[in-house]
Amino acid sequence: MDTTLEKLKILADGAKYDVSCSTSGVERKNNGKIGSASAAGICHSWSADGRCISLLKILFTNKCVYDCEYCINRRSADVSRASFEPKELARLTIEFYRRNYIEGLFLSSAVEVSPDYTAERIMNCLKLLREEYGFAGYIHAKVIPGVSPEILHRIGLLADRLSINIELPTKESLGLLAPQKKPKNIFTPMTQITQTLTERRQLKGPGTMFKNQDIYSTASDLRYLEPEGENLTPGDGSLLDLTGRPLAIHKPGKRGKEKFAPAGQTTQMIIGATPESDRQIVKTSESLYRNFKMKRVYFSAYIPIADSPLLPGRFTAPPLAREHRLYQADWLLRFYNFTADEILDEKTPFLDLELDPKISWALRNIEKFPIEVNKASLEELLRIPGVGTISAMRIVRQRKLSAIQFDDLKKIGVVVKRARYFITCRGRYYGGTDILPEQIRQEALDSEGIRNQLLPKADHVQISMFNPIVSQWGAGIAQRAGTVRSFEADALNVAEGVRSYTGDVQNFSGAGKERIHGGLPL
Amino acid sequence: MFKTLAGQERNGFMVDYLYDGSFEGFLTCIYEHYYNEKASGIYRSDFYQASILVPCRTVETEENKATRVYDAIENKISREDLKRAYRVFLSSAEEKENKLLQYLRLGFQKGSAVSLLHSNPIVFEVQQIEKKVTVEMHRLKGLVRFSALVKQAPGLVDREILYCKVEPDHDVLEIIADHFADRLKSDPFIIHDKIRNKAVIAQAGSWYIAGFTDADLPGLGELERDYRDLWKRYFETIAIQERINPACQKRMMPVRYWKNLTEFR
Ligand code: SF4
Repeated sequence: MDTTLEKLKILADGAKYDVSCSTSGVERKNNGKIGSASAAGICHSWSADGRCISLLKILFTNKCVYDCEYCINRRSADVSRASFEPKELARLTIEFYRRNYIEGLFLSSAVEVSPDYTAERIMNCLKLLREEYGFAGYIHAKVIPGVSPEILHRIGLLADRLSINIELPTKESLGLLAPQKKPKNIFTPMTQITQTLTERRQLKGPGTMFKNQDIYSTASDLRYLEPEGENLTPGDGSLLDLTGRPLAIHKPGKRGKEKFAPAGQTTQMIIGATPESDRQIVKTSESLYRNFKMKRVYFSAYIPIADSPLLPGRFTAPPLAREHRLYQADWLLRFYNFTADEILDEKTPFLDLELDPKISWALRNIEKFPIEVNKASLEELLRIPGVGTISAMRIVRQRKLSAIQFDDLKKIGVVVKRARYFITCRGRYYGGTDILPEQIRQEALDSEGIRNQLLPKADHVQISMFNPIVSQWGAGIAQRAGTVRSFEADALNVAEGVRSYTGDVQNFSGAGKERIHGGLPL
Repeated sequence: MFKTLAGQERNGFMVDYLYDGSFEGFLTCIYEHYYNEKASGIYRSDFYQASILVPCRTVETEENKATRVYDAIENKISREDLKRAYRVFLSSAEEKENKLLQYLRLGFQKGSAVSLLHSNPIVFEVQQIEKKVTVEMHRLKGLVRFSALVKQAPGLVDREILYCKVEPDHDVLEIIADHFADRLKSDPFIIHDKIRNKAVIAQAGSWYIAGFTDADLPGLGELERDYRDLWKRYFETIAIQERINPACQKRMMPVRYWKNLTEFR
């Protein structure tokens, strides 16, 4: 136990800079012995930095043969080293999971000996979890660049989500800071994952929006183990006197229908270690969504941990505000139908740190405003600052019943103090006398005290309730609703319980029809 | 209080209904409201304070009446509103019964469109309450911390049972039970609501709710302390010093939950 404690400390420390902890997007029934995954994602705790903890985020090993400049685990760094045994980590995961500390495992790793050596050990650990323990919880595995296609495929069959870090926004920066990581070694496995997902018609989520791909839902029939009858050995019927807990039932080769990375593929890049502009970063993410149908691209503000002439100095503050704005820009890409070129053009290569990119865009395109909320299309509504995907949908629904009054907007969920500059409601403008971009900008800044709010919100958008849901009915309902495309349907869940969402949408389809209830209702 | 809620409806025939606190009892009241005299308010009989102005009547819970209302809500309003009503019923909101009565009456007039009337104060309030319950239910799925207790019985192999204590604002035990029962099929477990003195007791995927005190619980398993330490250590290690933001931590995870969390003990 002591050694496990030591390893846990070293290997959690090495993994903590990884930003992605999202567990959402895959619903998995418990068909094994233990565990299930909830499409809505569940946060189990929040660390002192305010980030949600949902997964045991850990490195398999930090004994690295590579020497990436930005990494605390690089070969030349002077840190304590440790590696888990596959068995040890599997056990730890299960024990944490049983106690409801975590929702699953996020397993990353340094490169010990070689990519394949490490990947194989990771694979063995996941195999133990799935097959020996019958674990049906969430597993996110980082793929090591340069891994062989066979091992990658087998890991993909065990994990829910795969990711390979693109690390830096450009090839040049990668060459400079991570010379042993070749772009080819990153993109080959990425392509393999996208291809496998495409062949298996498993692609879903934001990345699919660019090519009008059909959305196939795979979540409902997911399983690794055939349901088994002999799960438990009942004792004399009383709860506490049961004897024996058959945890390990090994059923080699019987894994039911195998799914390959049902929660899709994501990637991550480091922000602020290299001189790329925000425009470059947003364009890179757009192309990752386009080409690899990524589920998510994560950004991680660079935290200086080592002295290097190639990197910002030790005491440079991590660019958290910038990271936050990039996530907002990413949100515009994924859910609001913006293109990278609209978000940032050549004249404005950097995001305004003080203002939401949606307001910035609106102020640059002020001639498109004000927009009449009772007439605008869903697409137009989505471009109004202060109007989110839920409120836009609600506006469209509700105005079929009766024209929307200005006072209704707040209850619908519109951030009125922001939106009022950009809309008219039943022909009236509520934003003051004129639309003056400079003035609006000033008022928006004053009213929101944005400077004080520049806290890392990256996890804010990841936490379960606020997370896009892609589930079987997400796509189905979107089709029924007609106007809503699948990726918008995803976003509809933002900030609302899954249930109330289904309710709304159900009602939406019937909203036009008059229902008459005469007499007693019963 | 009842004036604002039901005052406008008073016409001399009204009476306060008292019920036993069960959902079925509440539904029976709704039935009575439609088929007998109109209710001026619905109250749990054990919390009711009699008033000279309004007469009161105890409504006995009747299963067939409750079932009819249940079905009527599902069929004439919507399944979603039925769930909504149930969740609001589980809340600790004041006068929840009366708010629900208003909401359901509106629902029987408007059908499923009732949930779209966000600007109606009753709809808005009911939906806000529902949201609170839903948020807590969701939150609790993450914030439950089990400990492995060990039951030793002579002649038998020691048996682990997972136990946890919670103190939720709303009565959400039964709406989180399925989640854990599905998740922990191979472990018997107990989720104990300390405030309401009841618990979900589950094994092999099925569960029931029973009155509960922790008097007879067995002791901690041999490795339990080790796993707690490991988790605590993990929890501390994972925070990035450069990003420390306690305000955010507290916003996401209200302090009132902390005392039952392993990582803070
Ligand atoms: S490969 Fe590079 S980034 Fe990964 S652990 Fe090794 S040094 Fe760090």
